[in-house]
Amino acid sequence: MSIAVALVTAVLFGTGSWLMMQRRLTRIIIGIGLLGHGANLLLVSSGGPSGDAPIISGDGVENYSDPLPQALALTAIVITFGVTALLLALGYRSWQITKDDVVEDDVEDRRVLRRSNQDGPESEVDLEDAVPVGPDEDGVNRVVGERGEGDGS
Amino acid sequence: MAPDISNFTSFLVPLPVILPLAGAALGILGSKFRSFQRVVSLVALVLGLAVSIALIVEVDDKGVVAQVAGGWTAPLGIAFVIDRLSAVMLVVSSVILLLVMIFAIGQADEERKQSSFHPLYLVLAAGVSASFLTADLFNLFVAFEMMLAASYVLITLGGRADQIRSGMSYVVISLIASTLFITVLALVYMATGTVNMADLALRFESLDPGVKAAFAIALLVVFGIKAGLFPLYFWLPDSYPTAPGPVTAVFSGLLTKVGVYAIIRTQTLLFDMPDWMGTVLLVVAATTMVFGVLGAIAQDDMKRILAFHIISQIGYMIFGLALFTVAGIAGAIYYVVHNIFAKTALFLVASLVDRRAGSSRLSEVGGLVRSAPIVALLFTVPALSLAGLPPFSGFIGKFSLVDAGLTGDVAWMVAISLVVGLLSMYSMAKIWSGVFWGEAEEKPAREPEPGERLGGPLWMIVPTVAIVVCSVALALWGGPVYEFMVRAAEDLMDPSMYRSIVAGGG
Amino acid sequence: MTAILITHALLGALLVLLGDRIDRRGFLVAALAPLVSLIWIGSNASSIIDGDVHSWSYDWIPRLGLTIDLRVDALSLVMLLLVAGIGILVCAYSYRYFSASKPALGRLSGLLTLFAGSMTGLVVSDHLLTLFVFWELTSVTSYLLIGNDDRNPRARDAATSAILITGSGGLVLLAGLALLGGQLGTYRISEIVTSIPVGSVSWVAVVLILIGAFTKSAQFPFSTWLPGAMVAPTPISTYLHAATMVKAGVYLVARLAPALADVSVWRPIVFAVGSITMVFGGWRALRQVDLKLLLAHGTVSQLGLMMIVVGTGHYSMAQAGIVLLLAHGIFKAALFMVVGIVDHQTGTRDVRRLTRLGPGWRAIEVTTVLAAASMAGVPPALGFIAKEKILAGTIDGSFAGAQTLTVVIALGSVLTFAYSARFVLGVFGRLTSHEGGDAIASADPPRMSLSAPAILLGVLALAIGVVPQVIDSLARAATQALHPSSTPKDVELWAGLNTALFVSAGVIAVGCLLAICRTSVARLQKRVHDVIEPLPSGDSTFWWIVAAVLRFAKRTTHVVQSGSLPVYVMVIMGVATAGTAIPAVSSYDNFPEWIDSPTQLAPLSFIVIAAIGATRVKRRISAALLLGAVGYGMAGLYVLNGAPDLALTQFAIETLATVLFVLVLRVLPQDFDSGQRSPTRRSMMPSFRLLISAAVGAGIFIFALVAAEARESVPAVSVSEEMLERSVPDAHGSNVVNVILVDFRGMDTLGEITVLAVAALGTAALARSAGRRRTAGNSRTDVVLRSEVLDTITRLLFASIALLAVYFLFTGHNQPGGGFVGGLTVAAAISLRYVAGGVEAVRRSVRIPANVVLGGGLSISLATAFIPLALGGTVLEHAVFTWDAPLLGTIKTTSALFFDTGVFLVVVGLVLMAIEAFGGEPESDEEKPNSRFLVGETT
Repeated sequence: MSIAVALVTAVLFGTGSWLMMQRRLTRIIIGIGLLGHGANLLLVSSGGPSGDAPIISGDGVENYSDPLPQALALTAIVITFGVTALLLALGYRSWQITKDDVVEDDVEDRRVLRRSNQDGPESEVDLEDAVPVGPDEDGVNRVVGERGEGDGS
Repeated sequence: MAPDISNFTSFLVPLPVILPLAGAALGILGSKFRSFQRVVSLVALVLGLAVSIALIVEVDDKGVVAQVAGGWTAPLGIAFVIDRLSAVMLVVSSVILLLVMIFAIGQADEERKQSSFHPLYLVLAAGVSASFLTADLFNLFVAFEMMLAASYVLITLGGRADQIRSGMSYVVISLIASTLFITVLALVYMATGTVNMADLALRFESLDPGVKAAFAIALLVVFGIKAGLFPLYFWLPDSYPTAPGPVTAVFSGLLTKVGVYAIIRTQTLLFDMPDWMGTVLLVVAATTMVFGVLGAIAQDDMKRILAFHIISQIGYMIFGLALFTVAGIAGAIYYVVHNIFAKTALFLVASLVDRRAGSSRLSEVGGLVRSAPIVALLFTVPALSLAGLPPFSGFIGKFSLVDAGLTGDVAWMVAISLVVGLLSMYSMAKIWSGVFWGEAEEKPAREPEPGERLGGPLWMIVPTVAIVVCSVALALWGGPVYEFMVRAAEDLMDPSMYRSIVAGGG
Repeated sequence: MTAILITHALLGALLVLLGDRIDRRGFLVAALAPLVSLIWIGSNASSIIDGDVHSWSYDWIPRLGLTIDLRVDALSLVMLLLVAGIGILVCAYSYRYFSASKPALGRLSGLLTLFAGSMTGLVVSDHLLTLFVFWELTSVTSYLLIGNDDRNPRARDAATSAILITGSGGLVLLAGLALLGGQLGTYRISEIVTSIPVGSVSWVAVVLILIGAFTKSAQFPFSTWLPGAMVAPTPISTYLHAATMVKAGVYLVARLAPALADVSVWRPIVFAVGSITMVFGGWRALRQVDLKLLLAHGTVSQLGLMMIVVGTGHYSMAQAGIVLLLAHGIFKAALFMVVGIVDHQTGTRDVRRLTRLGPGWRAIEVTTVLAAASMAGVPPALGFIAKEKILAGTIDGSFAGAQTLTVVIALGSVLTFAYSARFVLGVFGRLTSHEGGDAIASADPPRMSLSAPAILLGVLALAIGVVPQVIDSLARAATQALHPSSTPKDVELWAGLNTALFVSAGVIAVGCLLAICRTSVARLQKRVHDVIEPLPSGDSTFWWIVAAVLRFAKRTTHVVQSGSLPVYVMVIMGVATAGTAIPAVSSYDNFPEWIDSPTQLAPLSFIVIAAIGATRVKRRISAALLLGAVGYGMAGLYVLNGAPDLALTQFAIETLATVLFVLVLRVLPQDFDSGQRSPTRRSMMPSFRLLISAAVGAGIFIFALVAAEARESVPAVSVSEEMLERSVPDAHGSNVVNVILVDFRGMDTLGEITVLAVAALGTAALARSAGRRRTAGNSRTDVVLRSEVLDTITRLLFASIALLAVYFLFTGHNQPGGGFVGGLTVAAAISLRYVAGGVEAVRRSVRIPANVVLGGGLSISLATAFIPLALGGTVLEHAVFTWDAPLLGTIKTTSALFFDTGVFLVVVGLVLMAIEAFGGEPESDEEKPNSRFLVGETT
């Protein structure tokens, strides 16, 4: 791992994160793309210093570069590509619905906020008629309603 | 070569992955013929269940069963290893996957409309099984990707506006998590020159504690996003409820638990859980429980209440792990299993309610105890269980953790978990009195379905009943089940066997 | 006993399931359960009283100490008598009380049976946890019973408050029991009572357990749920809230008192809480206008008394407590039934509206008097005997605070007498206020069948008082069950002239006084009440707490759960960075070389420039292209790093990705900031984002260097060394990367192509959900660049590229190439074909349906994975064979080739599907897109 490569990785991660923390899906996807490149760069350089292509040509042992990270990176690249394609499809669909690629806030979460600014939830409304069935001279006369249970018997 | 290659069970090992994949391939080929797809899926899932049952029997006898793909030895090829933990997760997930598939067919909603439902569902199944089977960190990543890729599509099946919105957040977050996972893998290989877990366990020992800690936390974060730990879970309650009913059920039942499984597996196998890690996990567990349940009682929609409950329940499992005692981990595993059944059942009920009442919003539903008593009954059992009330499985899980917590004297944690339990009970009561009691205050979003006598089509009710029965059985036969969990926990506390099998060429 | 419990459970479940199909007749069926218990009691009572004990034990989860231990001793017998005896009477009563037409009676009776079962279980458990199980079951069933009239919001709230208060009590209790069990090393009640190492019991455990008991038995300050629960139908209240459930807490305290009463905190707490509850309850009862609420508060008061009595842990008090349990069960049930009857016939329970009852009411009046007398402790009723014994116990009590208790109890008894009187007068219609009173003058008397159970109990209340011998042996045996070595006095009406008697006399005298000048008492109470009016009542406090918790939950949730994706991403990246970089940096010392080889400098700097550019540009398409540029830079770097396969793949993928991007982006506005709608919430301020991003960069920089440096400390060599050695001899391939992909780590690749397949399905599904039909022949709008010449050229190109792809596929095992590269090459060719001729052209050049290509590819790969397994090998084990291929000569290859072919096909299938999905005419759900820059550029 050379400083140079580490620096480039850092740049890729930094720019990637910067883009991912935005609201335009296009930017987010590109950000993830950059992040992915950064990860792959790490992966490829994780095998130590580079050497010749790991294709055994028979003549003695040469200084091959580590093949395993290459294989892993290849897998990672392809997978990331597949998922990115999906995400693009989502963006496409989202455009069809909203004519835009802005990732909106979650509606339900905003409802919670709204409701907490209201006078209160249902149970607080219940609160009033749950206050002890006024047991006093000045209280309501029929407190507990079950009149008519007996009807007809 | 893999161990006892002639042995039949070793032949079974990779099947939980291969079978559903084969089903998926056939499903894609025959995507024009729904009934063909249905048959294929059911056959694949039934066989998968049979295989995993055969495996759990074998594993409980042998301890560990393994096979290395490609006939290589372990660090070279990818090893599939089943210990008791994997086995029990495998069985439970196969049961859930099969029953929910039946439910989906009974509902005949997205399942009928979307030709890709069956293949996707099977790929999801394969991914879940693979995550439980593999003993290779990079292969775990691949397994996750199978599972997730399928989930991305399933969660947006139907392409409604809200699905797309939450789907995007879900995909973006998961994609970021996956990229982080690759990054960690790169760094792991950079530091150790292997990705085979058993190998890693050995090589990590010679690492500087600082680096080791960094890796431990990195993996915790990566899996924590999937498992829904605080503060990484926020995406979950936003996205799960929008998916089609059966899909939500499977997600809530399995996906988060796969994350939990990965956390348990890696933390116990790769790292010897230093005390600071225990503390970190305890704090994470506490915050996860509390914020999860607070979120739940703040909601006014059945599905969202349940979605937030997923989070707070995860807290309990991490609590068990954090104790890092046999009792604690056994409790955690039992809790995972209990939670998979209870949670899935509740979400199935939720989609029954949704179908019957045209909404799952508390204000728009009411009186189902009268109009659909069976559904009400199906809700009661898992709800009480989730609230941790005896004699249901939730109580056993909670009590085992309380007990372990008191012996590991973390009374504060026990106290928190009990308070959270109370709040869970409150939110269950909230659902009950909102959905099953009283009248609907507002008009539901969609037209309610005409009322069958059962409260839903037969083939939606039957699988729900089956899952509820499983959850009751889990409590009824709690003794032997818990004993099994203890054995599993003992394996995890002393992973030497697992390591030797995997590292030692199986 | 087990059989009895199961009977209850099954019967209850059955009735619940029958629901409305069985109306009030359900109660007749329900009566079977208590009947069974009574029969059992009848056949075993004598032996149990003689001191032998029936016990059952079942393992549940031994390792957790969870076992089901049942044990019936004399004390349990007393409780069983109450549960079953009153249970059966309540069933009979309910059958008449409810009208046949009332809905949900089946469910009600079922729940009642389930409750009875839980209660039975509770009083026969000999294991703290078993007891806890039934304890919670009673909470749940009572929740359902209280709320059974579910259309009434007040019923729902009462149920909620009941479950919350008793439920929280339950959790506290659980904690206490777990502690206690841990400290004593056993959960067996019988063992705890006999072997008393109280020293080891912490006061925490005791307090927790007591709180649990207090919530259940409606002790101050938890008493608020009980009056609320009066919303339940009167028969239910009779059973749960008078006779049985509320006594659970008392029962638990009674059971543990002999063992734990000597723990320092026990008596002070029990006495204080009990006293407050008794006096306060009596005071409240005296102010009620609703007969049922009067009884409810009376019950609270009596429960306070019982708590004190059984809590002392002294045998004489224990005996008194047992008598009181019986007495209270009898008279309170009778009185509740009376209220029910009055309400049933007259339609009100308001003392201000009730007037003198007609001639047919004598029986009820007598019952009322008898039961009330017992409640007030007037001789010769049973209640009197209980009170005598209690007073005797406190007066010559050996325990601390006994004398104070005497005073408190006396005071409480005065109030009790007073409200008993008020009750009687109320029933007799002597409290009628001027405006009220009219309506019910002519209420027809109740049927005998309705009043019979009440009358029976009323008679019992007197009879047992007159001949207490009938319960004497039972009470003694029960006392000895708690205090084995004790020798309790007889239960007798006349205990001789003693202080207790005088106290009782005094109580009765003062009580009468209060009853006579009740108006002035009422005035006094009103005045006091006006003073305490502003103070929050227990119930409003409770609901205030609930509301507060809810508000807190909402506030926190909307802070934490912002619903904003950028925030979520930021948190995740932040946590990941902070969590890893901090420990990593701690173990960072030496400094690696600057760069491997200067040749790398070019691609690296190119990457950096492109990456930074991607963040700056305004136009979507240029950002996408810059991302592609980064990819190409990577490819170049790979070439230099000796990774040709990777380079090829990266190159192809990048091309493909860019094409996809273009296909999607052409429908979006050109510039990022020209979207139709701006975000509903502006993402967090740039400076903050910048900070996080910088941190992420720095973090990964450090982590990478540290990880690389850590490699030295690991002795073992990389796994790949062995791969390099064995690739040619064992895997018969000299391109190690490809060998790894298809052989060593074939499972990865299998999963990978699955992901690709899913991606293909996904894009197709989304396209379909957009409701777009396959854009048929008219490729006018499909055309992005169009000219006949180009068309022919691309057709030729297509063929040759495809051939190259096949070459890649076949030679991949030994030279750069392989399934992926091959497939991606074809993909490139196809996209070229698309760019030239649109979807139509693609369909013409590839005739097989996309899903077949995809599924076929997957199937082939799976087959190569499965066949060796079936042949007794392992999954994906490859075989070797040689064969002659046209233009490639003799090839020695492995079954890995088939696997790779599968990969090849899947990749092709993906591209076909993607083009099907995106390639067509883009439509929005609303109108056509307004910016189509590609066409714009080419025309």
